Amino acid sequence: MGKFEIKIEKAGAAFTVQVIGVIDEDVDFNSYSLAGATSLELNLEAVKSINSCGIREWIKWIGTAGTAQVTYLLCPKIIVDQINMVQGFLPANGKVKSFFVPYYCDESGEEKNILFTHGKEYTDSTVTPPAAVKDDSGNEMEMDVVEAKYFKFIKK
Amino acid sequence: MVIRKGISLRYKILFMLTMLPLVMLGIYLFVALNVFKTDKLAYVYESSTAVAKTLSSQASTDLASLLNSAKPIMQEFVLRRNFAQVSEGILDTDGPIQWLAVYSLENEQTGEFKQIGTTEKDGTSAVNDLASMPNLQSILASTTAKPRQVSVPFKDDRILLVEKVPGTNGDKTLVFLILARVPELASGFHGSSGTENFLLTEEGKVLFGPSGSVDTMLPDRLGTEFFNKLNRQKFSWGAESIRSPAGENLLAGYSIAGFGGTAVLSLVPQSDALKAVKVLVIRSLLFVMVLISATVIVSLFASGNLTSAISDLFRATQSVAEGNFDVHVDVTSQDEIGSLADSFNAMAGEVARLMGETAEKARMESELKTARTVQETLFPPENAEIGRTKISGFYEPASECGGDWWNYCSVDDKIWFWIGDATGHGAAAALITSAAKSASTIIERLNIEPKAAMALMNRSIYGVSHGNVMMTFFLGCYDRTSKKFTYSNASHEGPYLIKKSSKPPKKKDLIPLNDVNGPRLGQNKEMEYEQITIDLEAGDRILFYTDGIPDIQNPDLEAWGEREFVKGILIANSNYPEVDVAVKNLATLFSTFRNGAPLKDDITFFMFQILGDA
Repeated sequence: MGKFEIKIEKAGAAFTVQVIGVIDEDVDFNSYSLAGATSLELNLEAVKSINSCGIREWIKWIGTAGTAQVTYLLCPKIIVDQINMVQGFLPANGKVKSFFVPYYCDESGEEKNILFTHGKEYTDSTVTPPAAVKDDSGNEMEMDVVEAKYFKFIKK
Repeated sequence: MVIRKGISLRYKILFMLTMLPLVMLGIYLFVALNVFKTDKLAYVYESSTAVAKTLSSQASTDLASLLNSAKPIMQEFVLRRNFAQVSEGILDTDGPIQWLAVYSLENEQTGEFKQIGTTEKDGTSAVNDLASMPNLQSILASTTAKPRQVSVPFKDDRILLVEKVPGTNGDKTLVFLILARVPELASGFHGSSGTENFLLTEEGKVLFGPSGSVDTMLPDRLGTEFFNKLNRQKFSWGAESIRSPAGENLLAGYSIAGFGGTAVLSLVPQSDALKAVKVLVIRSLLFVMVLISATVIVSLFASGNLTSAISDLFRATQSVAEGNFDVHVDVTSQDEIGSLADSFNAMAGEVARLMGETAEKARMESELKTARTVQETLFPPENAEIGRTKISGFYEPASECGGDWWNYCSVDDKIWFWIGDATGHGAAAALITSAAKSASTIIERLNIEPKAAMALMNRSIYGVSHGNVMMTFFLGCYDRTSKKFTYSNASHEGPYLIKKSSKPPKKKDLIPLNDVNGPRLGQNKEMEYEQITIDLEAGDRILFYTDGIPDIQNPDLEAWGEREFVKGILIANSNYPEVDVAVKNLATLFSTFRNGAPLKDDITFFMFQILGDA
């Protein structure tokens, strides 16, 4: 316990939610009601991990938002993987506002997470990665994902 | 359990509780009795000396008084050479003097004495008394050395004073014998209870004393050492401890009377003096016996209580040693033994609980092993070759039973591929895989398309789990005739298609088969799935897998990760070996990284290959 936390800020029917920690079978989403929200923005940057049981609970919880416009932002790779793989993890009317793309340099071993933002690095159907991402030593870094798989949710 | 046959703890406690007060009382008695004895002896010495001093003072006074009374008679005779009016006047009174006799020393060389006169009180006969005195001559002779003597010639209350009067102006030396009755003085020596008082001559002869002792020589009874010491020291009074030749211990107080060499000796047998000590010893011993008896009774009760509780505990431990943990010790005492019993009961209860849990765990493990054996039948042979295709797989559950399942089957000219991953792992997930296998066995014979098969699979899984356990699933069907591959996906990891090339494959050559996707099996009762068909060609291979591979951890809990997984796929297929080799290559890579660490999730993957070149 204590590994998971949700902070909800409500501005009328616009909910801003920050999700922190590990999402697994121990998480009780019933404590965090989404009823009455017409707009739901979830900051997922601080999600550390999620397992299959956590996915089940997440989908149930997000479903309680009903017809609210759901937006995910600052999605780490583990969230993007679930969006791509598990149908319903991102609701049908949901959008990803921004997400991180891991980069890696084989030479230096350095890793970076580059934030891709809707309207900049990607649109609803296209991805335009930065021309070059370099590590602290100036070495060019390569994308550390299988692109055809990682950006699949954009090209739906 | 070996039962030791030594002395019982009860008897040890009893012995200790008895011996401790016994020894302490013994030491106390020894010290107290010694102090008491010393004090008593000092008291007896003091009182004996006081009695001796009193009696010697009385004797000295009485004898001096007698002599003074006789002196006028003696002076009359010296002057007149006979007894006349003075003599008659004194003897006619009620005085103590009975008679006087006077002797003259006729020849100093021969010591010859001659009676030259007597005077007597009426009713007495000096002549008769003198005639009956056997040692008269020796008394007269001894006046040469001792001019004043005292003796009791008739062993009664009459005392004989001998007074020598040297002659002057040519007169002969005279020796006066004065017999006087001194009943008060004599009765003072008749003795009191436990004490013997003696009026003695210088030589130790008893003048007055207890009955039967008169005229005896006390040195014969007491030994000469005491009297020699007495004469040597010249102390006027004192006290001594005497051990007689007969072995009698006596306490003696003495006082020199100073008249005619007489002395008073007061004797108390030490046994009489310490009679009180004996009484005290006897009473103390009785008290000790009573106390020890009480101690033994109390100790028996206390040790019985203590040892019975320990015996209960011992019997309980024996019971536990024999495997019976359902024991309870009833000890109500509120002390350490009670606490020990509580601890034992708690321990026995906890051990019983743990034994129960262990037995239950063993039973469950046994059942899980059985379940694993059964589950293993759900999986196909790891390697197969069907026509111009080859299949090879790998499966390792994270626990006894896994939540992953894969399968393939050939129906007519079609080969079906099934791979799924139930939520979690363990028994519940394994049961879902069993349901999936059962459903697939029927579905594969229905000659339906993958999307319809997936919908049926969903109903089957939902029917079993009612939404509590779900399953990601990928279902593909390869038509060996048309070389078309049709697949449907239920939120499962999209397999990678790798096309054979003249160069080793790179990351961009991994083609995820994820063009269609649907919800996980079991999420809803009625679901429709999409399917898509792609064309394959000879040399193509597909890697089907579950998400457990990137989660593999080494002993340092570092995950293998997706990057290494992708690299592993590329290395394992770098020269496009047949899939059984590629599967082994990939397994070797992650096994090397894993280095024996336990699995976090089930590992399942298999490869399908169309043999030949494009």
